[in-house]
Amino acid sequence: MATATYPPPPPYYRLYKDYSESPSSVPEPPSPIEGSYVCFGGNYTTEDVLPSLEEQGVPQLYPNDSNVDYKKELRSLNRELQLHILELADVLVERPSQYAKRIGDISSVFKNLHHLLNSLRPHQARATLIHVMELQIQQRKQAVEDIKRRREEVQRLLKDAFITLDGQ
Amino acid sequence: MDIISQLQEQVNSIAAITFNVFGTLQRDAPPVQLSPNYPDPPPSAPTTDEPKQLSADLVKAAKQFDALVGALPLSDGGEEAQLKIIAQLQMENHVIGQELHKQ
Repeated sequence: MATATYPPPPPYYRLYKDYSESPSSVPEPPSPIEGSYVCFGGNYTTEDVLPSLEEQGVPQLYPNDSNVDYKKELRSLNRELQLHILELADVLVERPSQYAKRIGDISSVFKNLHHLLNSLRPHQARATLIHVMELQIQQRKQAVEDIKRRREEVQRLLKDAFITLDGQ
Repeated sequence: MDIISQLQEQVNSIAAITFNVFGTLQRDAPPVQLSPNYPDPPPSAPTTDEPKQLSADLVKAAKQFDALVGALPLSDGGEEAQLKIIAQLQMENHVIGQELHKQ
């Protein structure tokens, strides 16, 4: 089995020869990329935004102005989905040539459902952040308490040691 | 798995059950007489229970979805309330960090 050698490290190390003498004469690392960039033949953007439904050409079935009540809308979309499935079954029995519209309706209900769920993700991210920060605050408080306690104990031990030394 | 991923999985499984239901119905349907010129179809009796089971599965999956929606912990009033809480926590964190540093 043929093994390939690793590629050599990039040749930029020569530029940093004088770093120990003059740290400011060497090139800075490149700043982070903004906007869109090309990676392995694909275009990526640095802004991760959920494209709205109108851009995908799907009618939006739930009202959206700020503060959508997610639970209510998810439940009503679920009921509407069930109704559409039943409608499709009926259409297949009675007027089989009109199935395409019903299928379009069902797929748009599914797309709405997924879009709603995806728009919950930023909320989840913020909630996770809040949780992690609360934990961190608690840990720091605990650390402060511990340090205070240990320091008092050390002082007490030192005082006792001095007393015993003086007593001798 | 977190609740939003569970909800997404549930939506996908509802879709899967739906097309299984319709596929089974179309595959196993007995022949039906469309016009009186042709003789009656032979009375073949497909007595499998599968469509009933599948539709029961569909209803169960939809109920599960509703239950999962009920379990969503959406306590906050929205984005601004969360951002305010985050700013407040950040300040508290900073104060305690400085105290820790002093110790």
